[in-house]
Amino acid sequence: MRQLKIGTSWVRGIVGDALTPELVVNFASAFGTWCDGSPVVIARDTRRSAGTLRAATLAGLLSAGCEVIDLGVAPTPVVSFAVREMGVGGGISITGSHNDARWNALKFLGSDGTLLNLVKSEELLDIYHGSKFLLAPWDKLRPVETRSHWLIDRYLQYVLSVLDVDAIRKRQSRVVVDFCNGSCAEITSRFLAELGCTLLPLNEEPSGEFAHPPAPSAANMRQLASLMRCLEADFGAAVNIDGDRIGFVTAHGVALSEEYTLPLTARIRLKRRPGPVVTNFSTSRMVEAVAAGFGQSVIRTSVGESHVIDQGLAEGAVLAGEGSGGVAVLPSAMTFDALLTLGFLLEDLALTGESLASTAADMPQYFMRKRHLPCPPNLVYRVLDRFRAFYADSNPDTTDGIRLSWDDAWLHIRASNTEPILRIIAEAQSLTRADQLMEQAVTFARRAAFGHVEV
Amino acid sequence: MPRQNSLKIGVSGVRGIIGDSLTPQLVASFSAAFGNYCGAGPILIGSDTRPSAEMIKQAAIAGLLSVGCTPIDVGVVPIPALMLHVREAGAFGGIGITASHNPIEWNALKFIGADGITLRPNQAAELTDLYHQGVYSRVSAQEMTDPRTDGSTLERHRKAVISIVDEARIRDCRFKVVVDCCNGAASIATPAFLRALGCEVLEMNTDQSKPFARDPEPLPENIGALCDLVKKSGADIGFAQDADADRLAIVNENGEPLGEDATVALAVYHWLRHESGPVVVNSATTRMVDDIAQQYGCPVYRTAVGEVHVVERMLECRAVIGGEGNGGVILPVVNPCRDSFVAMALVLEALAQDRVPISELRSRLSRYVMMRDRLLCEPRDIAPLLRLIRNAYQREELDLTDGVKVLWANKWLQVRPSNTEPILRLTAEAPSEAEARSLLSDALEILSPS
Repeated sequence: MRQLKIGTSWVRGIVGDALTPELVVNFASAFGTWCDGSPVVIARDTRRSAGTLRAATLAGLLSAGCEVIDLGVAPTPVVSFAVREMGVGGGISITGSHNDARWNALKFLGSDGTLLNLVKSEELLDIYHGSKFLLAPWDKLRPVETRSHWLIDRYLQYVLSVLDVDAIRKRQSRVVVDFCNGSCAEITSRFLAELGCTLLPLNEEPSGEFAHPPAPSAANMRQLASLMRCLEADFGAAVNIDGDRIGFVTAHGVALSEEYTLPLTARIRLKRRPGPVVTNFSTSRMVEAVAAGFGQSVIRTSVGESHVIDQGLAEGAVLAGEGSGGVAVLPSAMTFDALLTLGFLLEDLALTGESLASTAADMPQYFMRKRHLPCPPNLVYRVLDRFRAFYADSNPDTTDGIRLSWDDAWLHIRASNTEPILRIIAEAQSLTRADQLMEQAVTFARRAAFGHVEV
Repeated sequence: MPRQNSLKIGVSGVRGIIGDSLTPQLVASFSAAFGNYCGAGPILIGSDTRPSAEMIKQAAIAGLLSVGCTPIDVGVVPIPALMLHVREAGAFGGIGITASHNPIEWNALKFIGADGITLRPNQAAELTDLYHQGVYSRVSAQEMTDPRTDGSTLERHRKAVISIVDEARIRDCRFKVVVDCCNGAASIATPAFLRALGCEVLEMNTDQSKPFARDPEPLPENIGALCDLVKKSGADIGFAQDADADRLAIVNENGEPLGEDATVALAVYHWLRHESGPVVVNSATTRMVDDIAQQYGCPVYRTAVGEVHVVERMLECRAVIGGEGNGGVILPVVNPCRDSFVAMALVLEALAQDRVPISELRSRLSRYVMMRDRLLCEPRDIAPLLRLIRNAYQREELDLTDGVKVLWANKWLQVRPSNTEPILRLTAEAPSEAEARSLLSDALEILSPS
């Protein structure tokens, strides 16, 4: 099967297979049309295929008459910032983000610097499918602006302005950061220098040859965790390729699940500025405990950055994030931002004088189990429908797949946005209960998916 | 916007109108097909100064990268310099982004093979087949490269051209030269080239950021300003190039245009003094070339009109020089393509060697008057009309290489279909204007009897 996924705010696929330059030109032309030919900011990550996608994106945008401001290799949050700073029509971040090196994608941002929400994505897709793109005549073509490094400087100033720089400087932290050979090494190194921290970089060459799978999960942070004791650092962090997700490792080399990123950030954010928090149905309940400590509520949405941020803006939230390690500090940042998240953790540790290990230990303990099963796209609806019937007594929420919630546990079964798989996530106060929920769901999924049992 | 029928996919490449038929999607696909045709290796990309060059270039880069080629962007360069660079650097091929003499809303891809020559008709047909099949062998992300840049094209070309002439002798003359580059792709290269030959250079239309200053074809009616400046400044000679710098027109020290025919004649005249061998020109090129070659005992071969036909024949018969009457000079020892820099170098060397003004050099060549006319003609009428001419002149010597050409001892008449428009082109050359005019009117009488 040719691997292509068109989701809310992005199109991703395997390069050389379904993700062809023609497809990218068409999407960029459609986006240029959607922006009505106004200027667009672009950036790319370090993948080997980035040059190909950049050229195709430029061709499509230029043909629609857009001026293009090219940031070069830069993280997605910088694109979001530059779009707002320049007051332009939109942005495209060329990055496969947490996907492996075979994949690449275009992430589309609107003029407010957020990833396109559901409605805007549908507008873009309608233009794409209609294939009637804006085509500027020769004398209306605009240039590509590549002298835009000052926007990256401006972004750094902005991130620093949000933080208590003096407090962080006093702490003089030593931090190991695993960049997974992505886009963030240079900017993070400047950021930490400004904060008086010592950076011990890992996999910092922006080679696009990823040292490990890029998602900052505990499993992918094994190399980082194993080095912690020798490096005598305060803590370790792993950022994904385009700097929207981050995970943490303690000084003693315990890799925290990426589920910790949101509640750890909530601790300091809600202390500074109380307000609601938005997260998705698949994220750990830890954040509820932190929010409750500040008398705040947590609102849950469908899975996906654009959903949680869109909902966050609608609810006047001060934080929106997901269990994947992506956190947006609303309303000042409009995308998940690993650098800002790192800054908040540094500030929390500096102000409390605690270690990451003790801070993490304060979190209520939950046990989470995640599994995924291959599921052909044509079976998704049937499988989910059978699940709904199976759990009918437990009052399932069907906003995004099937979600069941009990006092001591929850279970979420949904189709992945990015891959042809079914994701099953269970979280409970005891490991036995989580295992039992997972076991039951997987067994049922297998039988329902392959139609062996009439339900 | 209603689509015109403006897309042309043919022997000379892919041409279309920006904002209409020449879309980035089409360019990306054609470039992917070309990358498959050439194989995964370095492909040079150069462009002229049209504002649409960047958009087209990025689409071409995307298509080439997707099939595993490494595009090397050489920037704004004259087409002959790009072709030379492809051959010298051992690239797998090249793409020239230029619509040559077409108006500014057009652009085009010109495909160059590894030998530095525009794809021959059969090669172009293979490429077009690959394109139309629509399935390109893409590479995975791990096999992809980033595009590169290379700024050595102009210097490589300058050295190659200067190496075939007596540089010191030309430098000694300190020629005063006026150039009109039409704000085209040679706007930087030509003044630098002439200064390297010790010339004092007065530049006209050498701002690449500006649109074409005149109709890109270097016809006498388009280069009046150049003629004026040559006369006013007391320059030794004036040169006018077209937008992609493959054709050259010459203005003498009195500010008179010599006509584009004279360029190839002067180049042949001078080069045969150095090296004797066959000469190849197209069938519409002046008889001056035959007279000169006869003087040196060298054969002249004639081909159908079109650069690629001339080049092909030159390679077959190992010609030492060739060209076209439109101002295109081809010197295989430098480059098997039309090259206005070669033409300039040869003419300057001839002046330096003989120490005479250009008007005098011109006067050594025989005088002919060439006259042209055209007849609107539906495609279905072409063959019957050509047959009328052929029958009318069946007792004369006929050359059927391209349309019908009738030859007499010192004059000729040609009627041929245009390669680009639905017309018949009529050309006559004779020692006097009256004779040339009468040849034309005879032919018109045959074609459309009053």
